Amino acid sequence: MARIELRHITKEFGGVGVIRDLNLVIPDGKFTVLVGPSGCGKTTLLRVIAGIGPATSGQVVMNGQDITDVGPGKRDIAMVFQNYAIYPTMSVRDNIEFGLKNKKVPKEERQRRIDEVSRMTGLTGLLDRKPSTLSGGQRQRIALARAMVKNPQVFLMDEPLSNLDAKLRNSMRSELIEMHRRLKATFVYVTHDQVEAMAMADMIVLINKGQIVQKGTPRQLYSDPDHVFTAQFLGTPPMNILPCEDGTQVGFRPEKAIFTETRPKGRAFCRPAEIVTCEMLGSESVCKVKLGLQTVMIKSADETLEPGRRLWLSTEDDSLLFFDAAGNRIRAEGEEREKLCRKAAEG
Amino acid sequence: MNAMEVQQEKEDAARERRRRVKHFFRRLPGDAVKIAVIVLFAFPFYWMITSAFKGYYETIQVPPTLWPKNFTFENIKEILTGQDNLMHYLANSVIVTAAVLAIQVAVMVPAAYAFAIRNFPLKNLLFGIVLVSFMIPEQITYISVYLMFSKAKMINSLWPQILPFGANAFGIFLLRQSFRQIDGEVLEAARLDDAGEMKIMFKVALPMCRSTLIAVIMFSAISIWNSYFWPLVMTNSDLYRPLTLFVEKLKQDTDCGLQWNLIMTGNLVLVLPILVIYCFASRQVIRAFTYNGVK
Repeated sequence: MARIELRHITKEFGGVGVIRDLNLVIPDGKFTVLVGPSGCGKTTLLRVIAGIGPATSGQVVMNGQDITDVGPGKRDIAMVFQNYAIYPTMSVRDNIEFGLKNKKVPKEERQRRIDEVSRMTGLTGLLDRKPSTLSGGQRQRIALARAMVKNPQVFLMDEPLSNLDAKLRNSMRSELIEMHRRLKATFVYVTHDQVEAMAMADMIVLINKGQIVQKGTPRQLYSDPDHVFTAQFLGTPPMNILPCEDGTQVGFRPEKAIFTETRPKGRAFCRPAEIVTCEMLGSESVCKVKLGLQTVMIKSADETLEPGRRLWLSTEDDSLLFFDAAGNRIRAEGEEREKLCRKAAEG
Repeated sequence: MNAMEVQQEKEDAARERRRRVKHFFRRLPGDAVKIAVIVLFAFPFYWMITSAFKGYYETIQVPPTLWPKNFTFENIKEILTGQDNLMHYLANSVIVTAAVLAIQVAVMVPAAYAFAIRNFPLKNLLFGIVLVSFMIPEQITYISVYLMFSKAKMINSLWPQILPFGANAFGIFLLRQSFRQIDGEVLEAARLDDAGEMKIMFKVALPMCRSTLIAVIMFSAISIWNSYFWPLVMTNSDLYRPLTLFVEKLKQDTDCGLQWNLIMTGNLVLVLPILVIYCFASRQVIRAFTYNGVK
């Protein structure tokens, strides 16, 4: 278990700043997910924590101790790489054992730990096989076993599920959550997949262009975004954002929309709508809806929705979120909020 | 089966036969050329091997015999145990080749690893110097190297045949290319596993480049084993000369005509280790140029 603090981290590649003056506290024993679009610097940040891609400037502190200049092997951290990074010439057992041997763990202890993690990861019968004879899922398990066997305080995971097929990804996802619950270690997980982030995280850190946009629980980020970027990055489909006359923007989640045959009363946001397309997803449908010149995406369980239908689209007033022209959230109360709602109604 | 079906079957069989004949004749010219090339290359080997088991008179007999009439092991006995036998030449060849290979591996692997993986000042310049050194023809270094060893009073030893070949520039280049193909994440994983740089190099990276290493060692072994002119220039005494010069000496011993039976036996002993190495390592050589990692 460990608490990691990143202080004023800056990372440059050839003079180009990828991360600029970033501060972050990763809480002890929690499953923290770093999420953001490709190239936002999340993997770079993970490598800074691991010590394999040291920061240009700044400090990495673990449990109050500065580990900025401590070598990657001495940090009590294990990492699972996107491409697994298995030693291809070693057997499964040697792969798992390599780190323990380097740490000079006695033979009986090594044997005991290998038996334990191979049982946990389902590799028991495969210990003497070469990785090249195993499937993608099994290789992923080797990478996990190799990390687990070291019994580290911190697990770093760099998109470990991105090379697996959809079905395997789902089952591995729940296995990882279970593993975290059992080991109670600090997990830092990098992904660009917001669904994965929402499903797994205790805390999400949303990063864009090398800076933290927002951090908090998945629920907080989903329903209470600080910025248009957060609102549109999380959720499938993303939040609908519509411009108002004076540059402010109004947003609502696709599932918050309500369709009615007649114009509803007492709701500020209310527009005539025409359904353009409908994608059936099982229990619900995702529809593309035209509101005058704008298009929004709506999620609904209503089975009567079909392309070409004209209805009224509205939302409850408290489902509306407001953002300024720069995309920052406007947190207004009382009268001021009513004013914003009126603006949205005029749209 | 009715008559029509039988008829149909016969026609099919005839058509198949015609197709095969056509196919055979179409391929014939190409196959004939291939066989001719194989014979052209293999015949000298065949001639060498059979002559090694013929008596002296049979080797100069006209018309020549394709297979020894009197199969004899006398030649082998003669060059192995005769008065001026090949034993110490063979020992020299083995010592020189083994020593060169050992030094080469000790120099080449860390150098190639450093050029491929590590960052250090003047890396590109130094690598450029390595590349230039393997573009310099060996012949223009003879005199200066000879003078150096002569001044160091090392001419009468095996060292002039060993030390100049301690660094194999081509090997460094090839192995560096191979190290560069390794996924950087694998090396980082090893660093996270608390492996030191030496351990990463020898336990993780080198096994992944095994084929290249074997190929380089093989090329090097063949070239050192077969080297003729360098040892001829660098030695003054038979005591330090390798097997190649023994075979040459057999050719110069012309008191009673060229002893083809002995010359061919000497050649056979000279070539045999290379053939054996090639049989074991050819697969690795091919693999060295077709890298496949674990994804």
